[in-house]
Amino acid sequence: MKKQKVIILNSEEQNKQDFDAIHELHEGLNKIDQFPVYTPNLQWFEQMVVEEQQHTRRKLIRDLSVFFIVAFIIISGMLVSLYQMPTIFVIVQIITTIFIASYTSVRLIKKATRNE
Amino acid sequence: MDALIKNAKEGDHLAFAMLFKENYPFLVKYLMKITMNPDTAEELAQETMAKCIQKIHLYNGQSKFTTWLVSIATNSYIDQCRKKKKEKNWKGQEEVFRKLKWHFESRNEEWNDALDALGKLPEDVRIPIILKHYYGYSYDEIGEWMKLSPGTVKSRVHNGIRSVRRELKLGEETESHYTEQRRTK
Repeated sequence: MKKQKVIILNSEEQNKQDFDAIHELHEGLNKIDQFPVYTPNLQWFEQMVVEEQQHTRRKLIRDLSVFFIVAFIIISGMLVSLYQMPTIFVIVQIITTIFIASYTSVRLIKKATRNE
Repeated sequence: MDALIKNAKEGDHLAFAMLFKENYPFLVKYLMKITMNPDTAEELAQETMAKCIQKIHLYNGQSKFTTWLVSIATNSYIDQCRKKKKEKNWKGQEEVFRKLKWHFESRNEEWNDALDALGKLPEDVRIPIILKHYYGYSYDEIGEWMKLSPGTVKSRVHNGIRSVRRELKLGEETESHYTEQRRTK
């Protein structure tokens, strides 16, 4: 019984100390909130938005072009191999399937190990 | 949903600009607290705004716009830390927060020991402490942003507060008092 009382007191004391630490943190962080921050004018923000939107559009066009070029090359290669060299076509299909399955398994195992 | 956000979603530059101007001080101050470096905070604020422009279609208005900004800013900072650690030019947090301390001193502001303690914590502990105890976000929300379970966030916050307490030497007297009591018993 006596032992239990000591534990309760400890826990109460710890809560109080936690509260004190949080209070001190609040005071410090409040000081950062009072720190003056220079806010640029509206034109600066507008210019930034326009530039970012243009950049995003350019990136989208570039990514889509790369995607279509790569897709065209792969599909052409597949069609050529299917009609001219069917054996190679089958081998490539098998290798690709094995590669995707092993890559996915390795990724999942790594993710599971990281979460443990 | 707010008219500004609605217009921004439709690609209106001015609406975006007004939205950012309104929230810029809040964003920079939040980033200053988690990075403890005014320069990094400004740099990350710009990165956050850029991401915001790209992802505005994903904002569904269920949470406040500032909450959405905080989640993007937090992720940007975590990504930056990860990149720096990979590049092996990580200087450590202690060197980083000296600049903020210097800014305080140059403005004759009193530096708080708790900020010292907070600055010494790793960013994956400091961020949840600030989000939980200063901004009042839930463990679930923080866990979702940091891609951690709420339980992990809770234990990081708990251990972080314990480190701050140790750093502030809170409870040393009490601990020695209890040790003394046990000895006399």
